[in-house]
Amino acid sequence: MATVEAVATKGPVLEVSGITRRFGDRLAVDDVSFSIPPGEIYGLLGPNGAGKTTTIKMICGLLQADSGTVRVAGHQAGTLAAKAVVGYVPQDVALYPDLTGRENLQFLGRLFGLSGGVLDERVDEALELSDLADRAGEHLSSYSGGMQRRLNIAAGLLNHPVLLVLDEPTVGVDPQSRHAILERVQSFGQLGMAVVYTTHYMEEAERVCDRVGIIDQGRLVAEGTRRELVDRLGERDRIDLGASGDIERWAEACRALDGVDGAAVADHQVQLLVHEGRKLLPAVLEAAERTGVQVSSVDVVEPDLEAVFLHLTGTALRE
Amino acid sequence: MHPALAIAAKDVRQRIRDRSAIVLGIVAPLVIAALMSLAFRGAETIHLTVGVVNSDHGAAAAGLLSALRSPGLKDLVTVVPEPSEGSASAAVHAGRAGAAIIIPSGFTNSVSRSRPLPLTTLTNVNNTVAAQITSSIAQSFVAQVNADRLSVATASAAGEPSGSAAAALDKAHLSLPIRTVQSALGAKRLKTISYYGPSMAIFFLLFTISFTARSFFVERDQGNIERMLAAPLRPRSVLLGKVLSAFVFGIVSLSIIAAVTTFAFGADWGNPLAAGLLSLAMVLAVTATTALVIGVAHTQRQAEGISSFAVFGLALLGGNFVFVSVTPPIMQRLALLTPNGWALRGYTDLATTGGGLAIVGLPIAAILVYTLVVATAASVLAPRALTP
Ligand SMILES: Nc1ncnc2c1ncn2[C@@H]1O[C@H](COP(=O)(O)OP(=O)(O)OP(=O)(O)O)[C@@H](O)[C@H]1O
Ligand SMILES: [Mg+2]
Repeated sequence: MATVEAVATKGPVLEVSGITRRFGDRLAVDDVSFSIPPGEIYGLLGPNGAGKTTTIKMICGLLQADSGTVRVAGHQAGTLAAKAVVGYVPQDVALYPDLTGRENLQFLGRLFGLSGGVLDERVDEALELSDLADRAGEHLSSYSGGMQRRLNIAAGLLNHPVLLVLDEPTVGVDPQSRHAILERVQSFGQLGMAVVYTTHYMEEAERVCDRVGIIDQGRLVAEGTRRELVDRLGERDRIDLGASGDIERWAEACRALDGVDGAAVADHQVQLLVHEGRKLLPAVLEAAERTGVQVSSVDVVEPDLEAVFLHLTGTALRE
Repeated sequence: MHPALAIAAKDVRQRIRDRSAIVLGIVAPLVIAALMSLAFRGAETIHLTVGVVNSDHGAAAAGLLSALRSPGLKDLVTVVPEPSEGSASAAVHAGRAGAAIIIPSGFTNSVSRSRPLPLTTLTNVNNTVAAQITSSIAQSFVAQVNADRLSVATASAAGEPSGSAAAALDKAHLSLPIRTVQSALGAKRLKTISYYGPSMAIFFLLFTISFTARSFFVERDQGNIERMLAAPLRPRSVLLGKVLSAFVFGIVSLSIIAAVTTFAFGADWGNPLAAGLLSLAMVLAVTATTALVIGVAHTQRQAEGISSFAVFGLALLGGNFVFVSVTPPIMQRLALLTPNGWALRGYTDLATTGGGLAIVGLPIAAILVYTLVVATAASVLAPRALTP
C-alpha cells in the first residue's frame, strides 16, 4: 500500500454541507454538515436507523440529497470526477460468490477504467492487503465471512481513492479479523487518505477515529475528538446496572431522582448518567426494590462515547 | 474497456459457470428438438391417396391420370380409380382416400369448346392438407387446359392442322401437376427437425429474458448494482452491460444449437447468411425485451412473473410448440405479432424454398420493428430501475 498517491487537494477532501434526505414522511438525514481534511479518519457513530448509510450514499453519489451539497476533492458528489476518487465499501458484502477473489477485484477495477499491468498491480495489492493472495483463485463462496469482508474492504481501494468510505465494515466479523480491519483502516489514514467510517460500536469509533460525529435520528448531535466529546460530560459518571424484572419501570423511576441526567435501557441493563454516582447509588437501589427489580451488577464506568451519546440523546447507543 | 463491456463479460463468465444456464440455453433445446422430431417423424412424409372417377376416357383425362402417376409424384400421390362419384365420396369420407377428383363425361371434347366442363374435387374437412393439394392440382390442370385451349384456338385460326394442336395439348399436360403438387407441399419437404430445431432454439432463447432480468434484480438486491454505480460510469452502462450479456449468450446458444441440429440431426437451417441475419434480429428482439422487463418490473418477483408471462406468451403465440401452418388462421395472424413467430416463419421458408436473403427480408424487417418499439419503451422505463 506504499503506492497510495498523495492527496493533492488543499483544504478538506470531503465537505458535507446541510444535506437532508427524506423517504416519504421519514426524515432519514436532517441538515447534516461536516468536513474531513486529508489523512483524517472520521467516525459516524449512531444506532440502527440513525441515518449513517443514507449519509454515506449521498457522499458516494448513490442517492440524491433533497437539499444541501456534498463536495469530494472539490467535485460535486455523484459526478464521474467525484466517483473516480472515492472508494466505497458497502455495509453488506457486494461481491460475486461464483467468481474468484481475483476475478471480483478485476471486475471492479475495470469499472474504474483500470486495465493491463496497472489493473494486475492493483489487484495483487488488494489481495495482499486482505491477506488473501493465496486464496485468490478460489471462488468467493469458499471464503469465510471474515475473508469476504476483508476482500470487500480491499475492493474499495482499487482506485487508490482520496476518500475511503466504509459503512460498518466490521459487522459480523470475529474479534481477530476485526482487530486486523481496524489496524488497516488506521494505516490508511496514516497514508494520507481521508476516511469516513460508520459504526454503532463505541469502542471502534474511540479506537480508530481521529474525530467522531454522533448521529441520531438523522441529526448530527455532536462532533469532535473523543476528548472533546467526553469533556462535554463534565463531572458526570455513567453507571451500568445489570438487572432483571420490569427494568423499564425502574429506569423511569430513576429518571425522577435528583442528580440523574439520563437513564436508558439496553438489553438487561440500565445505563444512568449521574452527578456524583456514589452518593446516588442507595436511592437507585431503593428504586429497584420499589419496582421489584433484581439488581445483579453495578459498574461505574469511565466517561466514554456511550455516555456522551446517552447525555446527548437520552437513549442508549445499543438497544 | 468500456464499463458496459466489463459488466457483460462478467455476466457471461458467471453464466457459463452456472450449470442451469447451460442446460436451459443449450442442452434442453437440443434434447427437446430431438425428442419432438422423433415424435413427429411420421408426419414428415406427406402421402396422398387420390380417388379418380374417370367418366371421360378421352385424351385430356388420360393426360391428367398419367401426370398423377408420373415417376415424380409416385412417392407423394397414389391414384385409386373409383367407379362412380358415390364410391369416391364414400372413400373420402372413410379416409381411404384423402380427396377425389371427378373427371366429367365429355371433358376432353369440352376442352375444344368455349366453355370447358369443370373438374370436381371431393374433399374431407378433416384432411385440409389433402384437400388443398388436390384442389390446387385440379385448378392448375384446368388453368393449363385453358391456356392450351387458347393456343390451340390460335393455331387453328392460323390454319394449322388440328391434329398437331391436339398433340401439343397432350404434351403440355404431362409435367404440370408435378410442380403443383410439389409447391403445395413446399418445394422441399420440411423435415420435423428443421422446424423443431429453430423452434426450440428460439423458445429457450426466450428464457434469456427471465434469466437476465432476474439476475439484474438479484444483483440490485445484493448491492452489486449500487457498487457498480459508485464507480465512475453512467447508469446506462450498467443496463447496457446487462443486456449485452443477454445478447452474447443468445448468439452463442443459437449458434451452438444450429450447429448441433445441423450436423447431428440433419436439420436444415437454410442459407447460412440469411439464417444468421434472421437469428441476429431475433436475438436483438430478445435483448430489447429483456431491457423492457427490467424497466417494467420493480422487484425480482415481478421480474420473474413478467418474464415468464412474456416467454410463454410469445412462445404460444409465435408457434414454438405447434406447427403454425396447421393452426387456425387467427392464430397464424397472431403469430405475426411476435418476433419469434416471424423468425420461425423465416426459418421454415428458408428450409423449404432453399432461398436466400430475399426470403427473410420481411421477417427480419418485422422483427426489427418489434425490437425498435420495445427498445424505445425500454429506454424510457429502464433507467428508472437504476435510481434508488
Ligand atoms: N430506501 C429507503 N426507503 C425508505 N426508508 C429508508 C430507505 N433507506 C433508509 N430508510 C430509512 O431511513 C432511516 C435511516 O436509515 P439508514 O440506513 O441510513 O440508517 P443507518 O444509520 O445506516 O442504520 P444501520 O446501523 O441499521 O445500518 C431509517 O429509518 C430507514 O428506515
Ligand atoms: Mg447502515
